[in-house]
Amino acid sequence: MKFFLAAILMIASANLPAQIQFVTRPSRSPLVSFRIVFLTGAAHDPIDKPGVASLTAAMLSQGGTRQMTYKQIVDALFPMAVSVTSQVDKEMTVFSATTHIDNLETFYRLFRAMLLEPGWRGEDFERLRDEAINYLRVNLRGNNDEELGKEALYNQIYSGHPYGHNNVGTVSALQKMTIADVRAFYRDHYTQDGLIIGIGGGYPPRLLERMKEDFGVLPQKARPEPGWYEPKLHRGIQLTMIRKDTRAVAISLGFPIPVRRGHPDYPALLLAQSYFGQHRMSGGVLYEQMRQLRGLNYGDYAYIEYFPRGMFQFEPDPNLARRSQIFQIWIRPVEPSTAHFALRLALYELDKFIRQGISEGEFERSRAFLSKYVNLLIKTKSAELGYAIDSLYYGIPDYDTYIRESLSKLRAEDVNRVIRKYLRTTDLDIVIVAKDCEGLKRQILEGAPSPMTYNSPKPKEVMEEDKIVDRWKIDVKPENVHIVSVDTVFE
Amino acid sequence: MTLGIAGLLLCGLAISAPGAVPRAFPFAYEQHDFPNGLRLLTIPDDYPNVVALYIVVQAGSRNEVEPGRSGYAHLSEHLMFRGTKAYPPQKYESILQAAGASSNAYTTDDFTAYHTTFSKEDLELILRMEADRFRNLHYSLEDFRTEALAVLGEYNKNSADPMEKLEEVIRDTAFDRHTYKHTTMGFLKDVQDMPNHYDYSLLFFKRYYRPERTTIIVAGDVAKLDVKGLVEKYWADWPRGDFRASIPQEPPSHGPRVNEVRWPTGTLPWVTVSFRGAAYSDQHKDTAALDLISFLGFSETSDLYQKLVIQEQKVDVLVADNPDRLDPYLFTVWARVKRPEDMDYVKGQILGVFDKFRRVLVPAERLEAVKSHLRYRFLLSLDNSESIAANLAPYVALRRTPETINRLYEMYSQITAEDLRSMAIKYFVESGRTIVTLKGAKSQ
Repeated sequence: MKFFLAAILMIASANLPAQIQFVTRPSRSPLVSFRIVFLTGAAHDPIDKPGVASLTAAMLSQGGTRQMTYKQIVDALFPMAVSVTSQVDKEMTVFSATTHIDNLETFYRLFRAMLLEPGWRGEDFERLRDEAINYLRVNLRGNNDEELGKEALYNQIYSGHPYGHNNVGTVSALQKMTIADVRAFYRDHYTQDGLIIGIGGGYPPRLLERMKEDFGVLPQKARPEPGWYEPKLHRGIQLTMIRKDTRAVAISLGFPIPVRRGHPDYPALLLAQSYFGQHRMSGGVLYEQMRQLRGLNYGDYAYIEYFPRGMFQFEPDPNLARRSQIFQIWIRPVEPSTAHFALRLALYELDKFIRQGISEGEFERSRAFLSKYVNLLIKTKSAELGYAIDSLYYGIPDYDTYIRESLSKLRAEDVNRVIRKYLRTTDLDIVIVAKDCEGLKRQILEGAPSPMTYNSPKPKEVMEEDKIVDRWKIDVKPENVHIVSVDTVFE
Repeated sequence: MTLGIAGLLLCGLAISAPGAVPRAFPFAYEQHDFPNGLRLLTIPDDYPNVVALYIVVQAGSRNEVEPGRSGYAHLSEHLMFRGTKAYPPQKYESILQAAGASSNAYTTDDFTAYHTTFSKEDLELILRMEADRFRNLHYSLEDFRTEALAVLGEYNKNSADPMEKLEEVIRDTAFDRHTYKHTTMGFLKDVQDMPNHYDYSLLFFKRYYRPERTTIIVAGDVAKLDVKGLVEKYWADWPRGDFRASIPQEPPSHGPRVNEVRWPTGTLPWVTVSFRGAAYSDQHKDTAALDLISFLGFSETSDLYQKLVIQEQKVDVLVADNPDRLDPYLFTVWARVKRPEDMDYVKGQILGVFDKFRRVLVPAERLEAVKSHLRYRFLLSLDNSESIAANLAPYVALRRTPETINRLYEMYSQITAEDLRSMAIKYFVESGRTIVTLKGAKSQ
């Protein structure tokens, strides 16, 4: 995978007490990739200012510097075809870019100024705040029922917790936000002790020293930590229904899990998730049962780590490392007439998975898959850097080594143990985006059979199983069902 | 016939002699034609262990010529995952799974691409299995009907996005006869009717899934592997087809045309302005000139973007596209407007830019900046084996050779400000114009 041995340098000399950490992946490529990660994010938003971390990052990556307006920056970057992107999650903010070596010097000067000498102009702020509001109202709420359902699920699971708001914030908080808020966030959270500089490709070695010096202008002091506690477990099934005039019905469900990379049960739970519902692949149990056999929708998958924008990409973005993760099932939009059945089927399959576990053969196949698939996650230099930075965060070796070595020691019984230990069909949260929420709510609460009719004959086993599924009890109490208008979500 | 084409390769990077014009596609590759018409492109690179396989079939929604049968190229893509007698779906999946492969496919107007990325030791296994499904696809009526529902599911998941609806209406408004009138997904009524046309799906496959329409791209850590021998072994006796599709030619447009979409829920309004564009060409200046105009006029550095998005902040999304198509398609500008009352103003501003290209010569330094942007953008995109193959696929679908990339980028380098003006005069005419707007149920 690597041209050179991986090097993770921790630069912390007596002269420079600040603890900027470097993750380097040199190679002879003509491209140079940067991933500059600050260990701060939406979990650090002050309680009355959700979205300030995200808007601060946008002001750096899409705003002017002290010396240059945003237009001047765009004009300067354009001939090099380089774009600086930022991604803000709960615990991490990353600025990434890749340039051709021909343009390294010109690009680095701009990049440095963007991160270290922001211009804080009013017109940039207005534009980016509008963009954030439109993202919530239009892109998420208006145009993408699936992502809306998934993001609403996270908000519901982490309600009252530092993870309990969308990374971009809320509309009302954004409307009240000021430049002073983002400047204060930058001052308090963009510090040397929370900085990891990732650089890969054909950069000259002296660039590291230069970056150490340049980023040494940031405050050294420790960032304020948000109060941390594990998310509270919801009792029973909590169902939120988002009413929206839309063609199909989008469903997501899940619950928090204490397992993350580095946890002794992570490799086993990863394998269980891969077997049950590997993202955008046709081999998983959910996909097989819901789409392949029954034609209910476009696909159905399971997750043990946050994976936003899954409808647009096959592999997850790195630098979404979190202290807390959830187990999640994503049911892609179904026809309204089959929504109740689809939800029942997903819960039935989960229940069956917990009861029956994984066979030796299935275990071996999933293990072989993951041991090789992990190579494909780290295709580009930028992804390699991203994964290495995440490994630093979680305190594990390089991800591919970590996965391959842990899997080689794993047994099927370990996987079956973690399935029983962490997965459940009770005490979970469900979010449904639908037009006729009242009708679907009534169906779910009444629990009447929801038989499927198919446009072609089905194998006997499917029909037999359907008789169980179409009566499957979704044990939700009326007081735990909440219907909300889409206009109120993320407001 | 094997064409050994000398590229400049040093650890996967383009290094050119001083003074030489660097080739846009910097990798050495081998192009080989088998007697049945199948073409193989092998691109060894320096990214270790991984192989990316793209199989590109020159059949897309453009080929859906029978009324009521839109969406069958895309349906065929789905059906290809329904297996063969030798490799039923579960066996196929379990083999891919054991290989740790990432596999998928997509369909466009002009072509369908099947792609798999895997470890190099599995190359023979994957080539054998792929050859089997391209030649021996076998699905029952029951499987067919179930898969047709999955396609409807795909329509459903797309239907929440106003841009999908806009694209449907733009095409339907701008074209009268050509199959570009419908999207690759197809008309909804045709998608809903699919379960009733099993036999037609078989016919579509038989017509188009043929070696003379197919190019195999293998990129990755394959320098020491006998790729050609393996393709020969599994694909060489795939019989050639003889079907000739008669794609309806679009008559000259007698526009301007307008249409409006009413979106049932709250969303921001859109203004789109399209002109009939050019068919892809690496021999004539039209494609290259219109591509350059799309960046000069509407990219982030354009005057219009600076005015509408950055200064006045009336628009939050502004993009132009001039997609490469076998037949003349559309040059479209999309603008998402923050307040409905600004829609007319925004439309006027966009039309003003088109008009200016007809009258005023673009400053030389702006033109050079766009040419530089395109060159580096392409180089930056070639950063792993999968993206090398993925970048090649659309060009291979058009001309079956990476040389078309070199010719196109050479064409970019030759375009002058006068060329841009003459192309603007040729294409940005009222008779070829279509304006489609979209408004939500309420403003937000």
